[in-house]
Amino acid sequence: MLKQTTRFLIIQSVLLLLILISSYLHLTNGEFDMKIMEIIQVLLGIGNDEMQELVIFDFRMPRIILAIITGAGLGIAGVVLQGITKNELADPGILGINAGAGVGIISFMYFFQVMFSSFSLNGWVSIMLLPIFGFVGGIITAIFILFFATKNQQMDMQRLILTGIALNSGLGALSMYISLKLSPEDYEMAAIWTTGSIYNANWIYIWSSLPWLIILGFFIYRKAPILDYFQLQEDQMISIGIQTEKEKRLLLYSSVGLISACVSVSGSIGFIGLMAPHIARQLIGIKHRYVIPVSAFIGATLVVLSDFIAKTIFSPSELPVGIVISIIGIPYFLYLLIRNKEG
Amino acid sequence: MKNKNTWMPVFILASSPFFIVIVMVSSVIIGTKDISIETIYQAIFHFNESNVDHQIIWNSRIPRFVAALLVGAFLAVAGAIMQGITRNYLASPSIMGVNDGSAFLVTLAIIFLPNMSNASLIIISMIGSAIGAGLVFGFGSIIRDGLTPVRLAIIGTIIGTFLGSVATSIAMHFQVSQTITLWYNSKIHLVDPKLLLLSAPMGIIGIILAYSLAKGITISSLGEEVAIGLGQKTLWVKIASMFTVVILTGVSVALVGRIGFVGLIIPHITRFLVGVDYRYIIPCAAVIGGCFLALCDVISRLINFPYETPIGVVTAIIGVPFFLYLIWSKGSVKSA
Repeated sequence: MLKQTTRFLIIQSVLLLLILISSYLHLTNGEFDMKIMEIIQVLLGIGNDEMQELVIFDFRMPRIILAIITGAGLGIAGVVLQGITKNELADPGILGINAGAGVGIISFMYFFQVMFSSFSLNGWVSIMLLPIFGFVGGIITAIFILFFATKNQQMDMQRLILTGIALNSGLGALSMYISLKLSPEDYEMAAIWTTGSIYNANWIYIWSSLPWLIILGFFIYRKAPILDYFQLQEDQMISIGIQTEKEKRLLLYSSVGLISACVSVSGSIGFIGLMAPHIARQLIGIKHRYVIPVSAFIGATLVVLSDFIAKTIFSPSELPVGIVISIIGIPYFLYLLIRNKEG
Repeated sequence: MKNKNTWMPVFILASSPFFIVIVMVSSVIIGTKDISIETIYQAIFHFNESNVDHQIIWNSRIPRFVAALLVGAFLAVAGAIMQGITRNYLASPSIMGVNDGSAFLVTLAIIFLPNMSNASLIIISMIGSAIGAGLVFGFGSIIRDGLTPVRLAIIGTIIGTFLGSVATSIAMHFQVSQTITLWYNSKIHLVDPKLLLLSAPMGIIGIILAYSLAKGITISSLGEEVAIGLGQKTLWVKIASMFTVVILTGVSVALVGRIGFVGLIIPHITRFLVGVDYRYIIPCAAVIGGCFLALCDVISRLINFPYETPIGVVTAIIGVPFFLYLIWSKGSVKSA
């Protein structure tokens, strides 16, 4: 058995390599095939083909980076949710937080369109504000779920998931209702959120979501020991001197922040927050200091690969990446449920 | 729970024509085009083919009302059967993947058999229901505690999502996703009168079947051991019940697409009113469900007048708080 740090480094390098390979596939394939040399030339700025530069810098690069941000963010958020609820099946999508953030974002488009009419929806201010509105929607949903799932100060896991399922369909109907009132162009954008797609990636999206990932990601990483303690019984934690309720809330808010940032740029992508932490725990064990970064990397790999599949398999038409992920993720989920039978 | 007074079901069934007429009149009057009661009277008794209002009444408003009434009844009865047989208070066609299975196969049929007849559409939809139900129950029985309310709700939701995703990706590949979206978001305002004439008798056969199973379902709802102790062939009751559910939901999806929550809410309300005997529950659920969905259809036209709101939005707005209430009051208890 390797020492855990060495093992961690090996796993992270392998994952990094996987991300690079899938990014490479993503960069070179598409309606406009390119060779590796051409890409290197463009990246180094010594290419002289404007068409290639356009395809790489305006379409493919932002898309890959956004896929990495989304995957990493959802991977980390999944670890936190599973950690604080002590439930293996917790996932931002299943708990309805994605849908809540979606409603926040679509309401923003509906109510503040006029106010911000001087900036188009693709403009800077709106895009920077989107995660905040998503955050408000997500937080309200999360608080509502927690309120409903807590009885006699005990969190009931069954209730938690059921409330999530109920809110998911209710909020889905609500966003459909609001989105029907939007102008046709905005409706197109709103429709993207309901399935999850990074088709429209651009650099502004990256600048609006990256700070959230970095700040909240590091904050959560620093809380890793606390997440370890959360695996203990509640009263044991209190006896060590941890303010469980406060920590739980802080961690919850930060993961909702991450989710909202991801949902605001790439829509409601489910199952990454479920799969990545599971695979990470199988690879590296239960220490959150390792699980958090590994899960982030796995999430990134999964989204980049799925997006590659989404754009190539049905070419020339494109699938939203969210659909590819649920087609891959659901069998995994069922496998987890079946495996629980023995465990 | 003791059976409520026996006059309650009698009262519900006896007063139902009154309610149905009220809903029907409002359903025919309310819409983008104003139509007076007088015109309705004339359209019914002195039909004039050249009158546009009469055409609207006969070709759009009345079929739409009848479809809502029937589908509401079918889904409510299907939900009642499922809740009785599985003893799971969350069991219902939309939660347990039956709707999704049906919509999935209809999607495939629209793509690969574009010229199919109405009859084959209904049959395909029924086969789809059977597939959806089979998948959810199959996984439910191989997973530990898989048939408890929570697990079944999770399994049903994610299998539904899965079938939906596969269907969407196939639809996008063949570039018919717009046609398909109509199926997913219920197409009650576009009901085809010919399809309606064909599916009404099939669904009514389903309800008769359900009624003839009522006694067996009541016994099943007492629990497996009791049922066996009373000499019931539990397996046969289950198979016959699932067959009935498949007919009822298959017909509903073929007619108007996926509509959630009716099959979940109405059986609970009915049980609250008439007690635990399925000989009363099934006819009363049919009446209440029918009126409920027809009313939702009227609301869906008013909510964002003069534009139509998908009826699924209305049933969800009413259904979700009810769903939350069920979770709140029943929590994770195992039986219905």
